Amino acid sequence: MKPQGPEPALLLKKEGELSLSGPALKELMQAVLRKNVPFRFRARGFSMAPFIKDGDVLTVSPVPDPPPGLGDVAAFLHPISGRLAVHRIVARKKSGYRMKGDGMDAADGLVPRANIIGIIRKVERNGHRVLLGLGPERFLIAFLSGRGLLSH
Amino acid sequence: MNKKVSLDVAYVPSEDVVARVIEGELIIVPLTAGIGDLEDELYTLNETGKAIWNLMDGKMTLKTVVRKLSAEFEAPEDALERDVLGLVTELYQRRMLVEAPRS
Repeated sequence: MKPQGPEPALLLKKEGELSLSGPALKELMQAVLRKNVPFRFRARGFSMAPFIKDGDVLTVSPVPDPPPGLGDVAAFLHPISGRLAVHRIVARKKSGYRMKGDGMDAADGLVPRANIIGIIRKVERNGHRVLLGLGPERFLIAFLSGRGLLSH
Repeated sequence: MNKKVSLDVAYVPSEDVVARVIEGELIIVPLTAGIGDLEDELYTLNETGKAIWNLMDGKMTLKTVVRKLSAEFEAPEDALERDVLGLVTELYQRRMLVEAPRS
């Protein structure tokens, strides 16, 4: 049960959201996942449309063992920019994963396994769980996305 | 949790929070129900709160913390004691701080 009464001035509830690409979100997500605890946050952007939309709430879990596979949606650090992104694995290679936003024309390139920081386990939109995109259909989505058949 | 905090006890951040200084701001994420949830509760401390939090090392009692802050900020101990007790009580009740094991 939460304590009653006014918030003291020294401790403030944080207002406003942290943007997906922000270093703040990246650092907090990594810190929470390092504790082997899932992390819930609001996605920003359109790169994973139509399966993940701007404003959807995502739950990311630590990288599992065995490692993620084709069709999984992962949070990762872009190998060139270092920015946090959430895209789908469209191919597995010896040296890493080929990642791509479902709604993007181009792939992100090869992402080393060490750059994968978590796997998206749940998508919520307007308070309801979105079922399409993370189930068995993810293999077909990865196939179509990898060939650019989902982008406009 | 009705137990009061004591000036003779040392406190330490709970294992159930993640705290990070981001762009100069201390942000605390409680791991509520086993999830770090940015959509639920996210806290920040002001400068005084941050100074107090940084001294919660599990070794210094709150009395020592008050003395240290008083010397550092050249502020009266009684006012600082109120601030320290107020904040630590709030953080303790929210389970963001726990009592350090006595050595």
